[in-house]
Amino acid sequence: MSVLGTGGVIIQGITGREARMVAEHSVTYGTPLVAGVTPGKEGESVAGVPVFNSVTDAMGGIETEIDTSLISVPPFAVLAAGREALRAGIRRLVVATEGVPRHDMVKLLAEARAQDVAVIGPNSVGAITPSTCRKIGAIGGDRPERAFVPGHVGIISRSGGMTAEIGLTLRRAGLGVSTAISVGGDDLIGLPPEKAALLLQSDPCTHIICLFGEPGTPFEEELAQAMLAGHVTVPVVALIAGAFTETLPEGTAFGHAAAIIAGSSGRPSIKRRVLADAGGHVVDTLDELAGIVTALLKDGYTHAGD
Amino acid sequence: MARVLEDDAKRLLASAGLRVPEFERASSAEAACSIASSFGGRAVVKALVPTGRRGKAGAVRLCAASLEAEVAASELIGSVVGPYPVDMVLVEEWVDIERELYLAFEIARGRPEYTLLMSADGGVEIESRPESVSRVPLDPIQLPSESDLAQLWDHLGLGALSLELGRVTHAALRLFIERDLTLLEINPLSVLPDGNVSCVGALMAIDDNALARQPDVAKVAIEGSERAWRPETVLEERVTSINADTSQRGSARYLELENGNIGFLCGGGGASLLLFDALVAAGGSPANYSEFGGNPTEQRVYDLTRVVLDKRGVQGLFVGHNLTNNTQVDVVAAGITRALQDAALAEPFPVIAREAGLHDKEGRRIFEEANVTYVGEETTLNAAADAMVDAMRKAGLV
Repeated sequence: MSVLGTGGVIIQGITGREARMVAEHSVTYGTPLVAGVTPGKEGESVAGVPVFNSVTDAMGGIETEIDTSLISVPPFAVLAAGREALRAGIRRLVVATEGVPRHDMVKLLAEARAQDVAVIGPNSVGAITPSTCRKIGAIGGDRPERAFVPGHVGIISRSGGMTAEIGLTLRRAGLGVSTAISVGGDDLIGLPPEKAALLLQSDPCTHIICLFGEPGTPFEEELAQAMLAGHVTVPVVALIAGAFTETLPEGTAFGHAAAIIAGSSGRPSIKRRVLADAGGHVVDTLDELAGIVTALLKDGYTHAGD
Repeated sequence: MARVLEDDAKRLLASAGLRVPEFERASSAEAACSIASSFGGRAVVKALVPTGRRGKAGAVRLCAASLEAEVAASELIGSVVGPYPVDMVLVEEWVDIERELYLAFEIARGRPEYTLLMSADGGVEIESRPESVSRVPLDPIQLPSESDLAQLWDHLGLGALSLELGRVTHAALRLFIERDLTLLEINPLSVLPDGNVSCVGALMAIDDNALARQPDVAKVAIEGSERAWRPETVLEERVTSINADTSQRGSARYLELENGNIGFLCGGGGASLLLFDALVAAGGSPANYSEFGGNPTEQRVYDLTRVVLDKRGVQGLFVGHNLTNNTQVDVVAAGITRALQDAALAEPFPVIAREAGLHDKEGRRIFEEANVTYVGEETTLNAAADAMVDAMRKAGLV
């Protein structure tokens, strides 16, 4: 099962500083990065991969079927880059860029939804499936295997850094990852935790899901609803950070743009309660997270499709 | 999101073809009096602060004569509305109003849609009548026409006025989208005796991610105004100016807390939240919240560390990060250890650093040479926070 697709991957904005590094690391890891796109840079190559002027040119110039694009362009260029990918028929977008104007994301996500194209991000370090060495984005850096080894735990994290940290915690406990997804630190994202959970459990390799949540947004509450409704059936272990923010005045953003409490919504204490009420395993620490995941997997839990 | 003061908001509404009352800013009671006179004496005096609910807060005064406007202005200037000190008032022409409506646009929570909020029953009491507000989702791919919008007003019983309201609502929606607004609220949207519709109250916020492409809105936007509940402290201002230097890579957030004795120097976005919770759970007392990352330069790390150490009452330093994707641990270590040396700290001063990721072997060497207790990936973030509080306890600082 391929949560992140099986076809070729391109990077839009591949000649940028960050994207060059991601390209090098992806190729070394074994991800089928087949082309890059930067208008005006056709003919160059990055990490041994050819650069094209447009997504359409790349699709015409490469034999491999391309199904995924990593968008790593400046914030004001994301909407145009995304539209170009949609027009060219790309099926999956990962938007790495931070600080994309909200109206641009409203338009891009609405257009992608209308064409049934999956979008991860924006403000995401990407996603990784260690069993197939497929990583889309900076996730895992130059040594993905340090945090992500193949296994049965799906990771959903609103924090890019914590995606790797949870992978590391699991590896040190002798556990591995089916697919890890950094869903992005903004409050308007293409694959919020509820949808990410449904995607991960569609893969029989995912026996359990670890969620890293934060203050702000209704994301954790929506996941709890989906668990209660019986849509999300794999066990969910959740670590919700930022309890301290409830003791401070409202309206301050902590860390990520979306980590902001306003009124009764977005409170970590409520997220913890609704996830626990929905049958989730809510933990306080990473050590506890590793312990519970180990115990649940040992209990012989297997996914229906396994 | 950055708010825009009401008169600036009304200028933008006027530029979109919407009618607004005449207005002028005044920073003294005398000026308010003379502006009111120029409107014939009858005027509305409003505290000019970037927040709603001013009517409820008594910060909107209806004045029948210019002397009343003078009194109102002298009472408002120098007062505080919500978190905002009032140093100016807006003096507006008092228009006769037949009927008050409510109109607002916002971006839907977590969904790629706009939300149109409308009510046939607007005014200062709207907050207490949430049931009177209709919420209409708008698909950005298929935006409604003037006549679609007129129909919505017609459903609310506006009859013959609906056509004009459809035009006004359409113009406001275009302004909302074209100017990258995250909130546009017109309350009251007033029906005048002559059948015209005027934006008598306006609240506007713009997306700070879009300021660079909206230069005329950026000029009048108050950055960070939706987040602040108090003005920046001296230490926070230092971090703001550190960030303003775009020649340095990396980003830093810093929030000064009232008490606490553990300097908190952590990153990224999620890990800093987890580490703060972990210190508190272990019985520690952080003196600040911070979050840094984005592969910062040595100088930027140094500058931020000095701010964290300069807060009065700081008796130890906790450094922590998730396994980094691109932040170089050796660069972080160099910046922190140089700041520790330069800060001339009173002993004992426990410092624990939990850093793992890019170049962490070299980072460990730099930390350890500077007598900083270093822990790496073998120690979880929670265990590192526990160790910090233990070290404070052993030094008699908890």
